[in-house]
Amino acid sequence: MSKEILVTGGGIAGIQASLDLAEMGFKVNLVEQSPSIGGKMAQLDKTFPTNDCAI
Amino acid sequence: MLDVGRHPNIELMAYSEVEKVEGKEGDFKVTVRKKARYVDEDKCTGCGACKEKCPTVVSDAFNEGLGDRKAIYSLFAQGIPSTHTIDPDHCRQLNGKKCGVCAKTCQAEAINFDQEDRIVNLDVGAIILATGYDAFDPSRIPEYNYKKIKNVITSLEFERLLSASGPTAGHLDRPSDRAVEAEIADLEKKAKKSRRALDKFEEKYGEGSAEFHEKYRSGSFADDEDRKKWADKYAAHLTVAEPLKTLKKKAEGFGTAKKLAFVQCVGSRDFRFYPFCSSYCCMHSIKEAIIAHEHDSETTSAIYGMDIRAVGKGFEEYKVRGGNQSNITYLRGRVAEITQGPGDNPVVIYEDTRERKVKSEEYDLVVLAIACQPGNGVPRLAEVFGVEVNRFGFFKTGATDPLDTTRPGIFACGCAHGPMDIPESVAQASAAASRAAQVLIASGSNSPQMAA
Repeated sequence: MSKEILVTGGGIAGIQASLDLAEMGFKVNLVEQSPSIGGKMAQLDKTFPTNDCAI
Repeated sequence: MLDVGRHPNIELMAYSEVEKVEGKEGDFKVTVRKKARYVDEDKCTGCGACKEKCPTVVSDAFNEGLGDRKAIYSLFAQGIPSTHTIDPDHCRQLNGKKCGVCAKTCQAEAINFDQEDRIVNLDVGAIILATGYDAFDPSRIPEYNYKKIKNVITSLEFERLLSASGPTAGHLDRPSDRAVEAEIADLEKKAKKSRRALDKFEEKYGEGSAEFHEKYRSGSFADDEDRKKWADKYAAHLTVAEPLKTLKKKAEGFGTAKKLAFVQCVGSRDFRFYPFCSSYCCMHSIKEAIIAHEHDSETTSAIYGMDIRAVGKGFEEYKVRGGNQSNITYLRGRVAEITQGPGDNPVVIYEDTRERKVKSEEYDLVVLAIACQPGNGVPRLAEVFGVEVNRFGFFKTGATDPLDTTRPGIFACGCAHGPMDIPESVAQASAAASRAAQVLIASGSNSPQMAA
């Protein structure tokens, strides 16, 4: 029985899911198709409603 | 993002794709293809010396095509992993031409043109699909004239213009002005070259080109071959110098965009394309208008929408604050058409439904709030993972278990699941993580095992 998890997609959702599972102690394999993670969120300058920096 | 890169329990496989998924909940066998970057991940330090020297310029998709990158690149400056990648479609060396400049520059000796795709096999108990969305292409809506009118741009393009690390370093330069500036730069290069040729003749004959040309045209030096060349060069120089002068004069009047319009529901709530609401675009436009006003307090924004959907914690207050403090006007009405006005200014034609009148207004820049559509890769992914999609093309999930796909052990979260904003994506991702953990715990291991 495998205790590993696969997360497909390294945008904000994939990053959050991976970090949560990794913190729980599971081994996570995060697969992202582009050269770096961040997804659409990384393209955003600021986020609402707090105007925080996206990166 | 940095935390993902250095967490001991996360194996990050960027520039990779899942090719095959077999088995069942608790015991999946997954095949992943790690695409060749032609750069050794263990050696590359991410210093970027290679891309400084790379001679091949490619349109930068990260900046929505508003800027350029090189054929060897990092997706963006703070990217994780920072490993650079060679774009095999544009690299000269990989397309059989002589180059290899990056390999000569790289001090870490990380460039490897012979690198091949690698296949990695994984045994996993559960899978989370967080494959996101793709932005709607507004050129599908003919009446908005996107791509035809330069100063009509998408919300993502606007985002890159606002960004301090973007192609304009955060200045709201209009695309039409940027096109003129690019043309000026191009003509200046040509003019410099032709000027050099004229300088040689001027030195040789001790006379200015304009003066000489006057004499030449009045019939002097008719049989002089060398002077004929000079005259031809001068005529060619004028075809560059004259338009250059005109364009430079035009560019003197350029400033940043101050009068903005935001058009809502571009591709969404539209039965020709997607009938659903993309949920985040109202707030996205308000945020963009507020940030633009922060950049320059003279900026005014008009947001055109059927209604403004500010549903979320603190969202309504944000909307009201935008109206009171950031010069935003909310106009109720769906924009019917965008046309080209004088001075490259787009004109928005709409019905003001409060006054029941058809009106038009000219702007410096029009921003289209484009819909959140299912990812282009979804049909392939659905087949690979053996899951169903809903009628719009997002991964299908149950009404009572909203994170579960149609295949047990596989969960979907974020925009792969449907349009949602960042806070909602984060909440769903945490929920999907819990569902995945439940599967693993239920299927045998009583406690999670730390990675070796």
